[in-house]
Amino acid sequence: MDSKYDHITTEIIQSSVQAAADEMFAAMRRTAMSAIIYEVLDMGTGITDAHGELAGSGAGIPTFVGMLDKAVRRIRSRFGSTDQNASSQPHYHVINPGDVFAVNDPYQGGVTHLNDIILARPVFAGSRMVAWTANAAHWNDVGGCMPGSMSTDATDIFQEGLTLPAIKLFRNDRPVSSVMDLLAANSRMPDFLFGDLWAGVAALRVGERRIHELISRYGADAFTHALEKYQEYGEQVSLKALSGLPPDRFAMKEEQDNGQVFEVTVTITPEKFEVDLRHNPPQDSGPYNLSLDGTTVAAQMVFKSVTSPQGVCNGGTFRPLRVLTRPGTIFEPLHPAAMGFYYETRIRLLDLIWKALATRMPDRLPAGHFGSICGTMIGGIHPDTGRQYSVIEPEMGGWGGSSRGDGNGAQFSACHGETYNCPAEITEMRNGIVVRQYALNPEPGGDGQHRGGRGVVIDYQIRSPEAWLTAAYTRASVPPWPLRGGEHGTANRICILRHDGGIEHHTQITGLPLTTGDVVRIITANGAGWGSPRRRDPGKIADDLRDGYVTPDHAGHVYGYESRLLSEKL
Amino acid sequence: MSLNHTLRIATDVGGTFTDLVFLRTGTDGTQRIGTAKSDSTPPDFEQGVMDVIVQAEVDAAEFDFFAHGTTVIINALTERKGAKTALITTEGFRDVLEIARGNRPDFFNLDYRKPEPFVPRYLRREVPGRISYKGREMKPLDLSGLPLILNDFKAEGVEAVAVCFINAYADPAHEIATVDRIKELWPGIAVVASHQISREWREYERTNTTVLSAYVKPTARHYLDRLTKRLADDGMKGTPYIMQSNGGVDTVAGAREIPITMVESGPASGVWGAAALGGIIGEPNVIALDIGGTTAKCSLIADGRIQINTNYMVERTPTSAGYPVMVPVVDLVEIGNGGGSIAWVDEFRKLHVGPRSAGAMPGPVSYGKGGTEATTTDANLALGRINADYFCGGTITTNIDGVHQALDRLASQLACDRRQAARGIVRIANNNMVNAIKLVSVNRGHDPRDFTLVAFGGGGAMHACSLAKELSIRKVVIPKQSAVFSAWGMLMCDIRRDFILTRIVDMTSENASRTLTDILLGLEKRALTEYKAEDIDAARVGFTRFGRFRYQNQEHSVEVRMPDGDISPALIASICDAFHEDYEREYTYRLDAPVELVGFHLVATAEVGKIDPERLAQTGKTMADAEKSRRELDFAEDGVHESVVYNGDLLEPGMTFAGPAVIEESGTTVVVLPGMNGRVDEFGNIHIQTVTQRG
Repeated sequence: MDSKYDHITTEIIQSSVQAAADEMFAAMRRTAMSAIIYEVLDMGTGITDAHGELAGSGAGIPTFVGMLDKAVRRIRSRFGSTDQNASSQPHYHVINPGDVFAVNDPYQGGVTHLNDIILARPVFAGSRMVAWTANAAHWNDVGGCMPGSMSTDATDIFQEGLTLPAIKLFRNDRPVSSVMDLLAANSRMPDFLFGDLWAGVAALRVGERRIHELISRYGADAFTHALEKYQEYGEQVSLKALSGLPPDRFAMKEEQDNGQVFEVTVTITPEKFEVDLRHNPPQDSGPYNLSLDGTTVAAQMVFKSVTSPQGVCNGGTFRPLRVLTRPGTIFEPLHPAAMGFYYETRIRLLDLIWKALATRMPDRLPAGHFGSICGTMIGGIHPDTGRQYSVIEPEMGGWGGSSRGDGNGAQFSACHGETYNCPAEITEMRNGIVVRQYALNPEPGGDGQHRGGRGVVIDYQIRSPEAWLTAAYTRASVPPWPLRGGEHGTANRICILRHDGGIEHHTQITGLPLTTGDVVRIITANGAGWGSPRRRDPGKIADDLRDGYVTPDHAGHVYGYESRLLSEKL
Repeated sequence: MSLNHTLRIATDVGGTFTDLVFLRTGTDGTQRIGTAKSDSTPPDFEQGVMDVIVQAEVDAAEFDFFAHGTTVIINALTERKGAKTALITTEGFRDVLEIARGNRPDFFNLDYRKPEPFVPRYLRREVPGRISYKGREMKPLDLSGLPLILNDFKAEGVEAVAVCFINAYADPAHEIATVDRIKELWPGIAVVASHQISREWREYERTNTTVLSAYVKPTARHYLDRLTKRLADDGMKGTPYIMQSNGGVDTVAGAREIPITMVESGPASGVWGAAALGGIIGEPNVIALDIGGTTAKCSLIADGRIQINTNYMVERTPTSAGYPVMVPVVDLVEIGNGGGSIAWVDEFRKLHVGPRSAGAMPGPVSYGKGGTEATTTDANLALGRINADYFCGGTITTNIDGVHQALDRLASQLACDRRQAARGIVRIANNNMVNAIKLVSVNRGHDPRDFTLVAFGGGGAMHACSLAKELSIRKVVIPKQSAVFSAWGMLMCDIRRDFILTRIVDMTSENASRTLTDILLGLEKRALTEYKAEDIDAARVGFTRFGRFRYQNQEHSVEVRMPDGDISPALIASICDAFHEDYEREYTYRLDAPVELVGFHLVATAEVGKIDPERLAQTGKTMADAEKSRRELDFAEDGVHESVVYNGDLLEPGMTFAGPAVIEESGTTVVVLPGMNGRVDEFGNIHIQTVTQRG
């Protein structure tokens, strides 16, 4: 017979761990209470080894999966590695079977902002800790100075809600009631909080059950061996891809909407991929700071995209990656800097590294996309049910053209993935607002041999008094960047069409009062073009004219359509 | 029905072959099952059907029941051979089809390609008019622009029109008015409105479903009309019944109107067959497993009921978002793991099986038709599980040298020997299937130990015992008609339509019982009206009611059975209790939150005559009489054992046997693990009790 560490057993364990993460994802999605989890899928699930290294690619948005390892490592360090005594010494500060931990402190393993709660559960084989199952999801409200816990006016993290610095939420698989009471008392929407919490716990249990099955089938040693091997494999795949990139060192600076300049230097060698961010502005006085862990996640995303976008992704994958930062800057802020809108800074960073690489390898990566989460929050009283409603959603936008073709229209940002929009029919019933239009952005921009995809124009009409809007969009004045002579894309913004005929424009706003009849018009950018518009295939220009993506005038001016047809005829 | 005997036919058109199964029941109750196979004949698939009828030597004039399944619809979709289709939708929403859901499954890929919509932008047109989510008119429908729109469509050569309005699930009045006007202005054009297919919310899914239905409608109409005519010309008295994706058949008239419901009809008939077989042999809880050449499919049947859902996707892959089809489809998981799945080693020396398949051409290496890459079938052959001298019933001379060479290549890449490579392939293929079975069972809160595994298709019987052991399933059943089981399932089908309606009802409100009763009776009335229009008498129609429930504010719901008749306030409470229970079973907890009903699901079935399967005779022969030989068989993790080989064609009711053993039939091979015991039941099905060897 084969040895207990034979290849095949190892591979079976590895693929089963991935299947377990998928199952956890499905369970959580089906039971969550908040649309931002079950519909937008602002969540991720995964399994780590005993030390907190990702054992597989997990399931869901990679930026959420990327939080799990960091959170588990924080729990481990805070609670010590006392698992040897686990069964004999049930104590609050010991990690025991049946525990569930929660973390949301971005300075201590929470990675993002206080709304994103990571739940984690240790998995034991007897008294030996062998793995963790974990998930992260955006909770609607964790207290703080504004409904939804996010305010563009926040100046420190205490204004953004309740901080959970790695706490024990369950003992013996039962909730610790005092902690649960504390959570409920600090949320404006405790029913949602509990619904989402239980959805997360159910997912953790599913994952734990699968791991127990694997261990009883193959043994704990074979299990941990398989996880180790899998991470080695992840590292090998990354190194192999790195060796296929030309060794290089290059810098990129980019001005931001507010006039600040962000700067990155990327160094690629066959052994490492270094992202140097030490020369960047001091930390923000508002909520736009990105924690050190969050900075790492942004670098991981781009690293994976340029090395091996498909296939294995685990702790080993990122071993060749180095991220350098300086304390007190926007990419490594010091406590208690506010973090509510960290995600706009994170996508700015991801986009900057992407731009640096694409400028060096324009045939490998597409031109810039709308490049913002465009997080939009609308709240108020449902006119038909009298209950509180809240829309919390990212928006879709246009992606850039590439060497392969035109960019996609209406797609969520590079920080997303399996993220879904909320159907208009569900928005109307759930929130009591009317969706007046759900269209592609018709404005010109992003032209090219391969043009950028279209952003969106969405009109939400408010049906009750005393509603509010909070939003923070970037790429609102500095548009998406082109490649190889293409044109820039357009800008993200919100237009308010007041019921009395007034019109306002916003990109950063907190708690803007809205009333019956007002329309919130969300406009997202068209992606940037790749290659000169003059080189565009006339057949594609004809299609664009027929489909109404360009006007005849624009086709003539920018693409030289008529003159080119004439010269081709001659 | 004929006086002297009955003749029931099922035909199944696939991409390569057209299959036929018939069941002739004599006046004395004796039955004869026959099968025939001929080449499919694209693009005129009905010719293949007529060919296979001739080949089976059955007379159309004698047909009492003719069920028909076809891949014509899914082929038209995947090969993009449907009609030039246009869309009419609500003002402000023509881009919904292109926006889709904005998701990117290939999430690290910054150069992902979104699937192209089936209707380009210039053929997507808007009309003013608006219905609210409550089904009230907010803005009257204005069709004054419709003649111009239709003129444009005609000028562009449009062949089918889809109509989908926002909130039409709540009230379809505007859609109905629009379709009526289109029919007046453009008689004969194929037109489909969303409410005819789906009364569920989610505008992108409903719009896409309507568009795809319109896209295949002319093809389907043409095909069904020719088939019906050819059968009538040959003397068939009734009309065919068409296999649907929901595990039932429908009338030709129904299928002609909404052809998209045929999209997944092939797998559905196999699952229905497993449920029907379970009913006959007294096994209400079944996991159906169908292992074919390129894929394996599994589905769970609890308490005799197949599970239906409406989130079917066409062309969905890990790197593509695919296209949603929101029609009732049997809930099944399909993975790229069949007998023809190719084993390969990546650059990091990891072994994979599938999803690439050797297909029908060149097929596995062993077929000797030019295949050079080892497949699961080849590994099974090398391990002695398949008899090299009786390959495909002895019709094919095995290319065993080629198999050895292919396995040796993999072995050298893996630094192991040939046998280990073959075992590796089988173990990885098995593990892929185990994970798929877990998705339909444990992942939905069902313990596989409470279920019987019914395995069919070419490879089902080969792998079933290993999978059962892995999942602690206690019993495996290999049907007598294992090789043609999907067609057999079709013979067992009723007419079935699923009526699904999105409607929110607060179960704590005082008028919940009134509302539920009204809506359910309304749906039943609608079903009876539809059936009556097709001369199906109300007395033949049976209903099963379900509600889709959730905790308030959740989105995804749990389907719970609801009682017949009026729903009294007391019944409301017991329905809620059932929901709490089902919810906790599936998700491990329950909440103290208000329960909300989000949708109704009414199943309306009409029987078309049932078969009473024949009990086989016993001649007094024993199992020893069926013994062919003995050979060494490699059971991978369960070791190498000398095993008895039985001739499956000689099995009779009451015979028993013990593993390690192999039962060889012309279409399939049953591999029985050491320690397992089997018996043949009165219908010829093989029952294997698996012995759980681990604690």
